[in-house]
Amino acid sequence: MIYQQLVNGLMLGASYALVAIGYTLIFGVLNLLYFAQGEVFMVGAFVGLYLVVGAGANIYGAILGAMVICGALGAVAVFVAVRPVAKDRPLAPLISTIGLTIILQNLAVYIFGGQQMAFPETMEQRLYRLGPVTVGSAQLFILTVAIALMVLLWLFIARTKLGRAIRATAENHETAALLGVDVDRVVLITFIIGSGIAGVAGVLDGIKNSNISPFMGLGAAVKGLIVMLLGGLGNVPGAMVAGLLLGMIEILSAAYIGTAERDLFSFLILILILLWRPTGLFGTRTVEQG
Amino acid sequence: MLEAMTRSACLSIEGLTKRFGGFFALNDLRMEVVKGDIHALIGPNGAGKTTFFNLLTGVFRPDAGRIVFEGQLMDDARPFRRTVKGIARTFQNIRLFPHLTVLQTVMIGAHCRSFPSVWKALGAAVLQPPFGEAEEERNMRGHALELLEFFGLADMRDLKASDLAYGDQRRLEMARALATGPRLLLLDEPAAGMNPHETQELDNIITGIRDRGVTIILVEHDMRLVMGISDRITVLNFGTRIADGEPQEIQRDLRVIEAYLGEDVLL
Amino acid sequence: MFDGLIDGYTQSILIFAGINVIAAYSFFAPFKTGQVSIGQAGFMAVGAYASATLTQKFGIPFLIGLPVGALIAGVVGVVVGFPALRIKGIYLLLLTLGFSEIIQVVVLSWDYVGGAQGLRNIPFNAHTLDYVIVVIIVTITFFGRLERSSLGRAMDSIHQDETAAEVMGIDVVRLKLLAFGVGAMIAGLAGALYAHQATYIDSTTFNVMMSVEILTFVVVGGGSTFWGPAVGAAGLSLLPELLRSLRDWLELLPVEWTSFFPMNRIYDFLYRFLDFENAKRLIVYGIILIVMMIVRPDGLLTRDSVPHWRGARRKAMHA
Repeated sequence: MIYQQLVNGLMLGASYALVAIGYTLIFGVLNLLYFAQGEVFMVGAFVGLYLVVGAGANIYGAILGAMVICGALGAVAVFVAVRPVAKDRPLAPLISTIGLTIILQNLAVYIFGGQQMAFPETMEQRLYRLGPVTVGSAQLFILTVAIALMVLLWLFIARTKLGRAIRATAENHETAALLGVDVDRVVLITFIIGSGIAGVAGVLDGIKNSNISPFMGLGAAVKGLIVMLLGGLGNVPGAMVAGLLLGMIEILSAAYIGTAERDLFSFLILILILLWRPTGLFGTRTVEQG
Repeated sequence: MLEAMTRSACLSIEGLTKRFGGFFALNDLRMEVVKGDIHALIGPNGAGKTTFFNLLTGVFRPDAGRIVFEGQLMDDARPFRRTVKGIARTFQNIRLFPHLTVLQTVMIGAHCRSFPSVWKALGAAVLQPPFGEAEEERNMRGHALELLEFFGLADMRDLKASDLAYGDQRRLEMARALATGPRLLLLDEPAAGMNPHETQELDNIITGIRDRGVTIILVEHDMRLVMGISDRITVLNFGTRIADGEPQEIQRDLRVIEAYLGEDVLL
Repeated sequence: MFDGLIDGYTQSILIFAGINVIAAYSFFAPFKTGQVSIGQAGFMAVGAYASATLTQKFGIPFLIGLPVGALIAGVVGVVVGFPALRIKGIYLLLLTLGFSEIIQVVVLSWDYVGGAQGLRNIPFNAHTLDYVIVVIIVTITFFGRLERSSLGRAMDSIHQDETAAEVMGIDVVRLKLLAFGVGAMIAGLAGALYAHQATYIDSTTFNVMMSVEILTFVVVGGGSTFWGPAVGAAGLSLLPELLRSLRDWLELLPVEWTSFFPMNRIYDFLYRFLDFENAKRLIVYGIILIVMMIVRPDGLLTRDSVPHWRGARRKAMHA
């Protein structure tokens, strides 16, 4: 029984982790809280829905489509809400991303209505037995895609030249520029990657819950923030681990304590971390942000 | 000896020690500052001078030692209480309030004197007359203007602090610190970045402050200023006191000369 | 008081706009000392639930329930203010966010105040508009006085350089706590007024988006003068209604002006877009936020744009 819960926890956690990755990447390079990340997650889910239902795509096509479109959305966000806005006033970029959040959420409400929509079955339901656990094909698919994505991202950041450029920019813009990094381009790419991943997470969430709604973004946004803090601001592997951890904690507390309390746990963890270890479980950055 | 008995100690430091990890920023410092003196603290870079100021104002807590100011042990955890007790400072890298005007900046200094309690300040804010000024505000403004006159900043009173020239900003820092009504003023490298003319003006300003009844501890690298103005000098090197005495003695002290060897400083 | 002059619908709009104005000042207070909070909706919830419970379950009159609710919110504010002292920037944002979310969860699982069903049948008060106006006047007067006072200056100095302020003798801890507590109290007031106007509240009423909107009111209106929050809140709250009226005026245009291309297309587009529908109005709202931040990130009212009559008066007095 507990193994079943752990699997559920991993899936939930993977969802949180994927959203948090975008947050932490963007915060790392820009010191900006990209509030619209939750809505990008939602957009991904709806794009996936549309591709499957409207364009008859299979699940792989839906995921790819969501990734591409949300990535493009990330680029749009940079050109519209980030670049033109003055960076020296710390609240201004935050507000413009809030504006973007409001636009995206209400665009979805306008197009799709305010109700939940069913996410269609996209694969044969088969059960696999892995040791003590029984996993459905959908669950396996979700976990595989999520973990594959995280591993790929980790490799990308740790091993490729562009990944190094991202890390350098996260350290210090000026030093990175001196080393020949095109900071603006790196920021753009970071947004694209973060948004694309969030989009995939949205589709996965749709598969998991079998329904989506235009309001699913806000909850994901808040949890994503907690995970980002937990893993350490700007720490991508940290966000991955912290996401999985938080997902498992939530599911376990829901199973053994109560469903309303499960969110409470997460917020209490948030408060505790803020007061005790604001650098997060794994963070090495001390961000003195005013 | 008679002289020593009639001049009272403003500040007594014993055994003051501050460590950062394994590194001793200040090691067992002993120092006495006489009331009404201009007492200089010099030493090569990294000798612990700014740490000393931070310890005095309560920004850092010492690992050992005592600070006694006007006969009172200074162990307040909150820097603002030490300011209320009469110790004020300027900063090495100027820390002004970027969006306040010159006049407002100086009036900030006066706040703790006029309103020692938050509730009193709140009451004054709420109960002020709808048009015109409350009396306390008028007094504060008058006092602030007087200080600005003294520092030659009166014409710039409505300019934003961040719009001032560097030299004026330094003087504004001093004016602000003086507005808190201190009996001990800590000046952290006030002559940094000044040309000889400005430094000469600074000389006059500092003696002028002393003549108003404020004891001064001066951290400075400009030796001409230090030697010319100080009543007493303490020399630090690597957090340890290596000499203490009157300017002529210090200039001849071999240990001091040795410490400064390699530094571009003319004793 | 206005029952004869203004119809119920317009009154309702003005009341909610007024509540937004009050809420904007609840953000403005801690902001004055440099504390950026996206948890003010949480304090609104505290005030709302406290006041609603007192009036509904204990029959306490509205005029007592309201300030008591605000006071309780203020106390909670000071409690939250303590841990908030040591943290800044994004960490403070997350702390206040966490607080607000915790309040929501608490309300959701506390059946006495309605639990998942929410709190219904909160006594409606027919004079809410009057009270809202009074509170707004008092609040704006208070912040206007604050701006001209030494306390206000001290708070600004904390906002601009906290360490320097501390060293200059400003009791930073007490002032930050005061600002935070006052902000929470004002939020509690706004929340209580809201509860008695909407007559129904639940755990989703005072959510993150509300806190975030309050933040936008102040930033758009201008966070450096005491008029900014009112202007921002009033402007952004009444914007949807303005857009709706715009549509009504569109209908008044003579047919000849709009029956040819491209005017007819533009007309059709605007007509459909300025529709009632909440979603579309909010899209415009979001666009306005982005545009504002590009064009005027300091907000509509800044220190320089508001004529310093105080400064002029000083010059006259000094001469």
